Amino acid sequence: MSYRIAKNLDSALEALKEKDPATRIVAGATDLFLQEMPARLVDVSSIEELTAIEEIDNRLVIGAAATHARAAASELIKGRAAALVEACLQVGSPQVRNIGTLGGNVVNAAPAADAAVALVALGAKAVLVDSSGVWREEAVARLYSSYNCSALDGCTELLVRFLIEPCGQGEGSAFRRFAARKALALPLANAAARLKLENGMIASLSLVAAPVGPAPTRLIGTEAAILGKPAGEETWLLAAETAAEEVEVRGSLLRCSAAYRRHLVGILTADALRAAARRAAVSQSGSLT
Amino acid sequence: MEKELIKFMLNGEPVEVYNDPASSLLHLLREKFSLTGTKEGCGEGECGACTVLLDDLAVNSCLIPAGKVNGRSVETIEALSKDGGVDPIQEAFVEKGAVQCGFCTPGMVMSARALLKQNPDPDPEEIKMAISGNLCRCTGYKQIEAAILLAAGKINSK
Repeated sequence: MSYRIAKNLDSALEALKEKDPATRIVAGATDLFLQEMPARLVDVSSIEELTAIEEIDNRLVIGAAATHARAAASELIKGRAAALVEACLQVGSPQVRNIGTLGGNVVNAAPAADAAVALVALGAKAVLVDSSGVWREEAVARLYSSYNCSALDGCTELLVRFLIEPCGQGEGSAFRRFAARKALALPLANAAARLKLENGMIASLSLVAAPVGPAPTRLIGTEAAILGKPAGEETWLLAAETAAEEVEVRGSLLRCSAAYRRHLVGILTADALRAAARRAAVSQSGSLT
Repeated sequence: MEKELIKFMLNGEPVEVYNDPASSLLHLLREKFSLTGTKEGCGEGECGACTVLLDDLAVNSCLIPAGKVNGRSVETIEALSKDGGVDPIQEAFVEKGAVQCGFCTPGMVMSARALLKQNPDPDPEEIKMAISGNLCRCTGYKQIEAAILLAAGKINSK
């Protein structure tokens, strides 16, 4: 067993060069530590490039090893991608949020990981680099291969950062979840929305719910049903109905029945839309609170 | 089990230890340093009994691979009563009757310490949030919240 703390990106990539299946990138380790630990771990959580949260060329750039606690406290993210702040505040507990990272939330590939759901709704792109130094960008939703299984190979590839187009004037985003308790509980369901309003009408939107598939899933049918409609209660109720009909959900003896989860997806979708629209309206009137 | 040299600051003192880097910080503290004030409850990050500070932030020591603390600073409950006395947070827990069976108490105190380091004047909601990762099965939360509020007052009036 070896545990190396990489000081910079180059040394982390160097460690991946041997393409050894027993070598793996780790950040917070809060999930991995409870599973079988690989023999050689390369800890990337101290690499500055991977922890920065900044705005560059009008894009929000969030290091993959930024913790949930730091993202939740970031005024930069709050003003431009509020759904992500709301989601990060719901992950685990304060102790877990102080260690667990956004990149880990995605790569661990749990279908309803809160931060990942918000990232997908916000249209976040993941920036990855492999051991031979080849960079690529991928939509976050495409980083899932099956249930609890990431499409990213942690033995050869490293998730470096997320890129998000900030919500501009007339745009807003929000995240909602429901769990058996207010803290330290996995969500029974969650939903996130990003939308743009023009003259009170929904000009564009992205709507995501989970767990309704292996990855946070766009609700394409619901998006189509309410696009162009006025931002108001009638539209939110239509969204709730359409979302609940649209999703394929599984029930679980431990958590809740499929019927209850379907109901929750509808309610949470409408709640997220309502909150996102409120933010969009506020941003239109010029104040960014 | 391969061992590696792990060097870190523990309760203000530099320490070095050969240990399996994949064992938990919790076991390292309890078994190698005999710091048994940090408790093992669930062992999977659900209960907060093992809370310590890592670079001043509250973390579950059961979820931290020992290798991760290399070069960093760890503070345990033992740091609070170094000179035989008690810390204002501990004092407040006693005064408010915030201890029942006591098993969650070290974790609660460390979460309170992390909060008060970051925010010396928390409101009741911020206190609830700060201990939301600590379970108390004796259901003494009200007294614990009152104790942390009292502790903040004690520290601020010093």
